[in-house]
Amino acid sequence: MIYLDNSATTYPKPMLVKNRMMQSFTNFGANPGRSGYSMSIKTGEEVFACRNDISDFFHADGPECVVFQPSCTQAINTVLKGLLRDGDHVVVSDLEHNAVMRPLKKLTKSGIGYTVAATCPGDNDRTVASFRKAITPLTKLVVCTHASNVFGIRLPIARIAALAHFYGAKICVDCAQTAGIVPIDIEDEKIDYLCSAGHKGLYGPMGTGILLLRSGDSLETLIEGGTGTQSRELNQPQEPPERYESGTQNISGISGLRAGIRFVNGKGIKNIYVKEMNLIQYLYDRLKEMSGVQLYTERPDLWHYVPVLSFNLRGVHSEMVGEYLAGRNIAVRCGFHCAPAAHDKMGTTEGTVRISPSVFTSKNDIDILLGQIRGFRRPK
Amino acid sequence: MHEPLILVSSITYAMKGKRILEQRGIRAYVERIPRTREAGCGYGIYVPAGIDEAERQLRNMGIRILGRSERKNVAGL
Repeated sequence: MIYLDNSATTYPKPMLVKNRMMQSFTNFGANPGRSGYSMSIKTGEEVFACRNDISDFFHADGPECVVFQPSCTQAINTVLKGLLRDGDHVVVSDLEHNAVMRPLKKLTKSGIGYTVAATCPGDNDRTVASFRKAITPLTKLVVCTHASNVFGIRLPIARIAALAHFYGAKICVDCAQTAGIVPIDIEDEKIDYLCSAGHKGLYGPMGTGILLLRSGDSLETLIEGGTGTQSRELNQPQEPPERYESGTQNISGISGLRAGIRFVNGKGIKNIYVKEMNLIQYLYDRLKEMSGVQLYTERPDLWHYVPVLSFNLRGVHSEMVGEYLAGRNIAVRCGFHCAPAAHDKMGTTEGTVRISPSVFTSKNDIDILLGQIRGFRRPK
Repeated sequence: MHEPLILVSSITYAMKGKRILEQRGIRAYVERIPRTREAGCGYGIYVPAGIDEAERQLRNMGIRILGRSERKNVAGL
C-alpha cells in the first residue's frame, strides 16, 4: 500500500517505536505513580523521561509542564472548558478543525462567544490584521491551528501570540499538523497552551496526545479522579501535570511516543520538513500541469505551508477519487477532513482529496499516485 | 533508625527534584511515602547526606516542598 494519509496518523510507525512499545509491556508493566516497588518506580521513570524529552523538544519550562492526553482533541477540550467562563470571548481562525469548533459551539450555550478571523494564505500581515480586528475587550483566548489539516496553510503563530498577549488574551495552538514537522519553540513563540497529537508527526501510537502548559498556569479540570498522591484529599491536586491526568495512563503509548520523538530527533526535524515539502511541491507542480485537476492554494512554500495538499478532479466527487485510488492500493483522505470551516473558506463544498506524505514517502510513491490520477476515467 | 525525607507534591516533582540534586552532585532517591500527615500517600526524595543543602537547592529551583517525613533505614541506600 502507498500510504498518503499521514495527516490522519502516520503509517508505518518506525521500528524503534514498535520495539519500544513491545518492550514496555515487559519492562514497564506496573502502574506508575501509585507505588514504591521497583517496577512501578521504573515505569514512573519512563513516563518522566518522556515528559522530559517532550519538554526539551518544544523548549518548555520543564517536565511538569507536559500533560499526557489521549488525543489532541482532548487537550484542546481541556483548555477551552478549563479556561473559559460565561461572558468570555474567543477568536479562532477560519481553518479550524472540529476539535476546536465543536467544543466552542457547545460553550456558546454557556455564554461564551467567538469570532472567526479570516486567514490570508501567503500574506501574514493581512492574517494578523484580521486577528487584530476580531479581538474585543472580552477576548480571553485566541485558539488557532498552527497549520490547516486540509490545505496545509500555516499561520504566523508567534505574531498572533504577541498580538493576543498585547490585548491581554492567551493563545492556544493546535499543533496536530506541525509537531514533528515544523520546529516549535513554546517559549520563543510565547504559546500559552500547545496541543498536539502524539501519533502524527511525532510518530507515536494512536491514543497519545499532549498538552503543554507554560509554567505556573492552572486550568479547571475536565475530569477528576485518582492521581496516585494526596489520596485522602478529595479536592483534585493543584499542580500539573498530574492534576490533569486522573486515572491510569497509557504507558505503552507514552513509551512509544518517547521513541517516536527520538526517531524525529534522529532524522532531524528540518530534514523531515524539507523532504516532505519537496515531495508536496513536486506533486503540486505535476498536478498543475493537468487540466482536469483543481488546486486551491498557491504553490506551497516553506514559509507559509506544511506538507499537506488538497485537490479535486474537476466534476468528480472527492470520495469517488478516494475510492478509485483505494482500489489501486493508494490511501488518501477525502471529504471534509473534520474541518468544514476550512472547506467553507475555500469553497470546496463537496470536499477535497488530501495528500499528506511522511518521512517514509518516496518520490516513486508520488509518481505512482500521479500515474493513477492521469489514468482516471469518469465512470459512465 | 529513621532518616529524613523531603516531601513533594507528586512523582513528577520527586523525579525532577532527584534530577536537580544529581546535577549538583547530591545523591538522591525517589521513594513512596505510604501516608503523609493530612493528604495521604505521596512521593518524597531521600537524600542520604546533606538534606538541608538539598532542600535549599530544590527551593531555589522552584520545587514546592511540602515538608519532611521519615523513612526506615534500608541497607544499601
